[in-house]
Amino acid sequence: MAAVLKQVLAWMPFFFGIGFIAPLTAQLMQLWEIPAPFGLSPIAFGLIFGGTWGLIANIRGRWL
Amino acid sequence: MSENELLLRTGAGTETTAPASDRPAMPLGPDGLDRYTRRDLRKEEIAIARQFHGGTMWPYAVAAFGCFAVWLSFFPLAIMGMLNLPLAFALSCFFCVGGYVTSHEAMHSNIGRPGSKTRWLNEAVGAVSTIPIVFPFSMARLMHLEHHYHCNDPLKDPDYTDEAPNMWAAWYKTWYNRQPGVDGSIHHYKRILAEMGTPAARRALVETMILQLVFMGTLFTMAWNGYAIEAALIWWLPRHIGLSYIRFFLSWAPHHPREGKTGRYENTNIFKSRVGHILSMGMQYHLVHHLYPGIPNHRTKEAYYALKPILKARGVDVSPL
Repeated sequence: MAAVLKQVLAWMPFFFGIGFIAPLTAQLMQLWEIPAPFGLSPIAFGLIFGGTWGLIANIRGRWL
Repeated sequence: MSENELLLRTGAGTETTAPASDRPAMPLGPDGLDRYTRRDLRKEEIAIARQFHGGTMWPYAVAAFGCFAVWLSFFPLAIMGMLNLPLAFALSCFFCVGGYVTSHEAMHSNIGRPGSKTRWLNEAVGAVSTIPIVFPFSMARLMHLEHHYHCNDPLKDPDYTDEAPNMWAAWYKTWYNRQPGVDGSIHHYKRILAEMGTPAARRALVETMILQLVFMGTLFTMAWNGYAIEAALIWWLPRHIGLSYIRFFLSWAPHHPREGKTGRYENTNIFKSRVGHILSMGMQYHLVHHLYPGIPNHRTKEAYYALKPILKARGVDVSPL
């Protein structure tokens, strides 16, 4: 159990990208009426953006 | 040699003069004080400090529970669409910062000493106060006491990673230290707790993991149900702003520069804050807290002015205030 939780926490930046940044991005785009590129839905764009950013943060150890 | 011969000798008398009159009668320490003066000053210091210990502490408990209840109410109110989000955001930032002040009193058992009737209140205040910044009280207390025991020790002071050459670098570092791959802030604390390996340290690590999972679970659940902006403005952003503010005013400002400053009267500064006494959470007088952690936050200013002549005699730079 502890080992599983440790793994979850180790991948937290990626999960955070998918779990929070993705829907936050989509909802901000809808609020500010910004269309997603390439005909994507806001949430699809949010998942690509948030997931990629989170993965990079996980690998690099920095969000920026 | 006869007396006459001695008197007629060239330069006679100069080599036989008594030691210089400004030479101290007893050895002086690096602070320029002899041990008797130091002892007398210490006695006087303790007598003055004693007057400022204790006092009315219930407002800390009221503030802690009141603010926590209001902050908690933001979540259902946001979901019901009954919340003024900009106001809730500003208040949440305030609660995140203020929560550390109330928990700080609990860390030093100033609300209820072990074995006293109000001990439960002390522990409860500590427990609720740091939830908004996702920093469990068990970890906060252990790390803060380590900071007191080993203030400014580069290896043992858990807050040493906040050191930065100037104000702007210090603000940047408050954020940088929270990055997932950086051994600063809470990551540094986790490593120290793991090294400590005591039951209290293990409990603090487990509580940290649980609170972080609750935090993430809340953010994810709210976000995927259409309340991402609300979650960001009530918890995510205020936490980051609060942590940076706390780190800057409680850690960097009163202890900069940290290098080599480990002595009782040199490990903490008296400084003039641009945002004043209240907004800097009383940290201008943080030295008084380090000398006497039993003096509650709201009395450190008063205690400082009472102790100022002694602190000056001990070599503290009291010129800022």
